[in-house]
Amino acid sequence: MSMPSKRHVPLLLGSGKSVAVSHGKDKKVTLSLTSMIDMFTILLVFLLKSYSTDGQLVTVSDQLILPKARVEKKVELKLDIQVNNSFIVVDGDPIVAVTDDLLNSGNSIPELVTRLRDHMEYSRLTRGTLNEEDTKINIQGDVGIPAILLQRVMASCSEAGYVGQNLAVIKEEPAEGGEV
Amino acid sequence: MAKAVSGRSRTGKHLEEIDLLPIMNLFCCIIPFLLMSASFLEVVVIEMAQTEGISTSGAGATANLMRSEEDRLQPKIIITDEELFIGTVSGSAHVCYALETELNGEMIITFPWDSLTVAITEVHDILTEAYPQIEFHKITILTVEETRYDNIIQAIDIAIAAGFDQPGLQVAPTASVTSAMRGGGN
Repeated sequence: MSMPSKRHVPLLLGSGKSVAVSHGKDKKVTLSLTSMIDMFTILLVFLLKSYSTDGQLVTVSDQLILPKARVEKKVELKLDIQVNNSFIVVDGDPIVAVTDDLLNSGNSIPELVTRLRDHMEYSRLTRGTLNEEDTKINIQGDVGIPAILLQRVMASCSEAGYVGQNLAVIKEEPAEGGEV
Repeated sequence: MAKAVSGRSRTGKHLEEIDLLPIMNLFCCIIPFLLMSASFLEVVVIEMAQTEGISTSGAGATANLMRSEEDRLQPKIIITDEELFIGTVSGSAHVCYALETELNGEMIITFPWDSLTVAITEVHDILTEAYPQIEFHKITILTVEETRYDNIIQAIDIAIAAGFDQPGLQVAPTASVTSAMRGGGN
């Protein structure tokens, strides 16, 4: 077996020792793994802290930016409404385009009410009965939507039978020192 | 040079080294798994109390305001384009003025939220002291139609932190909110 050239110093990591042998002289170069182990340990602790067994229950659309809040209540898997300044999306389907008329008139939004009622009826048919948990809905609103749009969406949910309305937000960690 | 205490080290003996490669291998397996399972942005929810609608003309909003006035002890955070108030049984009190700031090249309205934190905590303490038999959980966020969603969420978040954990939302035309304010006293 020929020896490697000077330029190619093999790392014999698989042999049980972190040693590189240079050609020519019998000089052994040791690769110190201690600092790498240190780094990995720090990384491991950080990742263990961020580890979530729940997974991502809610898919946040890239079309909207959720506001931040310090509340603690965990999100549950419910029907999702995403609201931004262009569209109202229910369960991934765009239902209504946000226009000036929509921001100026009325209470609930008829198209949205119809879609939500259909969904509730479908749930009733598939499960046989509905409990209180089935009447909850998650609303993801963009930071920039006006209050009237949010209010109309919430009124539509109420009219369709979704009485429990949860506003999805990004959890904001409290400031150091417990500042409120 | 101090002599080794154990007596095992003798001149000419080689140093034992811990083999770190199995640990490295373990880390290389664990870290990608944890990276996939980690959630860096946690989505949480704010549970809202039942909302009430308004009509085009604003008449419904006025009716809603009147109804909310019937629930005398329930405080309200009132957000307008220019000011922020807290409405209580004894009337409404000015909290702070709106600030105009630039965000992504767009001028937006925000508020100095520390003022609201102080005021709402004070209101909660006063109510709890005056009516010890009542547990105060409900609060109404009464706002004009143009208020940004992040301002509403900020107000709700502060109210929840102060102990009002059942927030409701009412939206009314500016004129209705203003008239409600005028009728509220100081």
